[in-house]
Amino acid sequence: MNPAAGAILKERSFADAERGLKAYLMALWRMHPVLRGVTAQAGPSAPRRVSFDGGYIRVAALHSETRADLIYWAALAHVAAHLIFTPGRSPIGALKPLQIALVSLIEDARVEALAIREYPGLHRLWAPFHAAPPGSAPTAEFLMARLSRALIDPAYRDDDPWVRKGRTMFFDHRLQWEQPAISRQIGGLLGNDLGQMRIQFNAKTYVVEPAYRDDNAGLWDWGDAPPQSADDSEVPIEAFRMVRQENDDPSPQRRSHDESASAAISAREQPIAEDAGVPVARYGEWDYALGRERPDWTTIMEFEAQRTPTVGLDRLLNEYSDVESRIQKLIRSARVGRPVRMRRQPEGERLDLDSCIRAAIDCRLGVSPDPRVYETSEMRDRDLAVLVLLDISESTKEFVKHTTTTVLSMERAATALLAQAMEGLGDPFAIHAFCSNGRGEVRYYRVKDFDQRYDAAAAERLAALRGGLSTRVGAALRHAHREIERRQSHRRLVLVITDGEPADVDVEDPKYLVEDARKAVQELAHAGIDVFCVGLDGGGDSYLTRIFGRRNAVQIDRIAALPEKLPALYFRLTA
Amino acid sequence: MSAGQCSGIVRSPALEDGIMQLEDYLITEEPYYRAIGGEVALFEAAYARRMPMMLKGPTGCGKTRFIEHMAWRLRRPLITVACHEDMTASDLVGRFLLDASGTVWHDGPLTLAVRHGAICYLDEIVEARQDTTVVIHPLTDDRRILPLEKRNETVRAHPDFQLVISYNPGYQSVLKDLKESTKQRFGAIEFRYPSTEVETEIVAHEAGIGGAVAEKLVKIGQRSRNLKGHGLDEGASTRMLIQAGRLIAEGVALASACEVALVLPITDDLDIREALSQTIAACA
Repeated sequence: MNPAAGAILKERSFADAERGLKAYLMALWRMHPVLRGVTAQAGPSAPRRVSFDGGYIRVAALHSETRADLIYWAALAHVAAHLIFTPGRSPIGALKPLQIALVSLIEDARVEALAIREYPGLHRLWAPFHAAPPGSAPTAEFLMARLSRALIDPAYRDDDPWVRKGRTMFFDHRLQWEQPAISRQIGGLLGNDLGQMRIQFNAKTYVVEPAYRDDNAGLWDWGDAPPQSADDSEVPIEAFRMVRQENDDPSPQRRSHDESASAAISAREQPIAEDAGVPVARYGEWDYALGRERPDWTTIMEFEAQRTPTVGLDRLLNEYSDVESRIQKLIRSARVGRPVRMRRQPEGERLDLDSCIRAAIDCRLGVSPDPRVYETSEMRDRDLAVLVLLDISESTKEFVKHTTTTVLSMERAATALLAQAMEGLGDPFAIHAFCSNGRGEVRYYRVKDFDQRYDAAAAERLAALRGGLSTRVGAALRHAHREIERRQSHRRLVLVITDGEPADVDVEDPKYLVEDARKAVQELAHAGIDVFCVGLDGGGDSYLTRIFGRRNAVQIDRIAALPEKLPALYFRLTA
Repeated sequence: MSAGQCSGIVRSPALEDGIMQLEDYLITEEPYYRAIGGEVALFEAAYARRMPMMLKGPTGCGKTRFIEHMAWRLRRPLITVACHEDMTASDLVGRFLLDASGTVWHDGPLTLAVRHGAICYLDEIVEARQDTTVVIHPLTDDRRILPLEKRNETVRAHPDFQLVISYNPGYQSVLKDLKESTKQRFGAIEFRYPSTEVETEIVAHEAGIGGAVAEKLVKIGQRSRNLKGHGLDEGASTRMLIQAGRLIAEGVALASACEVALVLPITDDLDIREALSQTIAACA
């Protein structure tokens, strides 16, 4: 078979199994490492073994004669055993390449033995891959493969004195298997022996056997020179902390490491666009001190929405894949619609028992009965339009506590998930964003309009939103009012997501813009448009309540939970 | 052991026969229940004051078995109602039915318990609509009355009556949740998966298998619970482990028993199924 074709087949099988493999590691060890899939390289420089670097695992295209279907499971279980039982990178010291290979081999056997103690079935998973025959030629590679087999398979018989010596030493130290130092001790001695027997060993062509084991690069501190040029367009994550979770919330430290990579990428890729906005409307502003509206006081400038690749956003959304599946389920149950029982109908499929009884009683009394004795079921229909208004002012550039994610990134991820929910439910929706630079420049960005679909282009516009400037909520609300009032639906909702108090550069009095926003909300309510606010500011209770009303504002104190809570909130609001 | 279950109307003869009829709901044999903390003593104390109680926890953790055990222990009849979304207040409280001579009032299960002093257990109460559950409010404060407007009667609760509800707060509670005013009327006991030793004991006893096999099943169950929030809504419950154990007691191999009782029912996601199967293989 053409080896390239074989590589392609295996590649597909890792991608197919990837999700199951991740769940496997989570189930066995509550481990959530970063997996990088197989690369498309072919030829001699292609990596042939799985490699790990802390909690970052690079999977290669693996081939095996035996048990090919289980090789990725075996490989990842093996790396997991290292991540648990190998304490970190060891200094090379004075070890020669042959000794390094042997110390790694013993370490492989040691961590596997410890893993098997906890999960006996792993023995059945790994042992069949060790197929080195006992009578093979005494080259270093064959001897080492036979030694590996002898260490894992108690039924294997081998006459070679070196292999037997290695096996004896390993099992004599059975009680010290928890100590990593024994690998160096035993491996160093065995390496010495092979060297004295003048067995040839070519460190450059040596590949670890069997195929499921890793290349051991992650065990050693190589100093300046990394062992192989790996597919290093990625920023490797440095330190891995095992996720010991008491609850379902991902540990902020783990997320921070994942996020540092994506934050780095998104910072590199987003251009700083300084284009001019187009003034499209003027609105009045309420001055509470005067008790009057200042006519035509603010100007809305619509800015062309930029687009940027959604790499960073997708990466953040990956963290929330479970929220996504939950949303899908909620969509299905909300959308299929719950049949509502309509009682006391003049006609229908069934009799409404209570009405019938009332009618019978009335007959008895000699009163003419109410003929509405039927009941029927109706599918509940959804008829609402939503406009999501995002605050992208300067404060959203701040980092969420204990993470390297900005508030704006969280808002973005939450909005993306919400958009999925709304798209799935079929509710017409729009996503707009705003910030302001004085009353003459209230910037308004259209990520998605009502008549557009939420597609890749919309996601790119969402990803391109940049934080900056101030928060003149009232003006933005009035513009949103104009946008949504054209919608003909039973219910119309403006959903505002903001992280701070209304403020602007040309306004001194902190109450002024709060009161103006409150007035704008009242104007919307007067037109039959609901406004609801999701506040991300811990101390925001007072002004949020003042602007939106106590029942129409909610605080999310843990911003990291926003992507999870926002869609849930939406379902509840619109049930 | 039998605990009467009804989700509908019960024929209600004259009041004097009420006590006799509730004998159907008395539990005569001790239901096996292995305490995991002080919950038995806590519930006895709560019952002594007829305090309304809420049993919270994931499915399959022993809530129903617990209340059956307590009803047996306290020698009270237990009337269980399985709540669902289509349930109306009439289903709980009662309604008029027509017969040859005219209209006859039939007590619902809740009224029956209130009148004759049984423990009324509303299972999965969050499934019912909120306009149905408010019926219980006057019973759960100091008044302990149940107004029957259609009869123009106010039933005062029998001194032995107690209301117990079960509540499984899952993500589904985004759409359906108890009102705050309802929740605050109850004391709550939380049920979680027991510790390894206790769960092994329970599984071994209920499935009729040896300790070593039970230990393996419990280990598998615990690993599956690691996937809660990472592909599964809930891991395998104790009940599922018992089912797997029962199959093993009938001679089925462990891997197949787990496949049938744990993996296949819990998820349709092929990737997660494969991960679970591999996990089971590793534990076995």
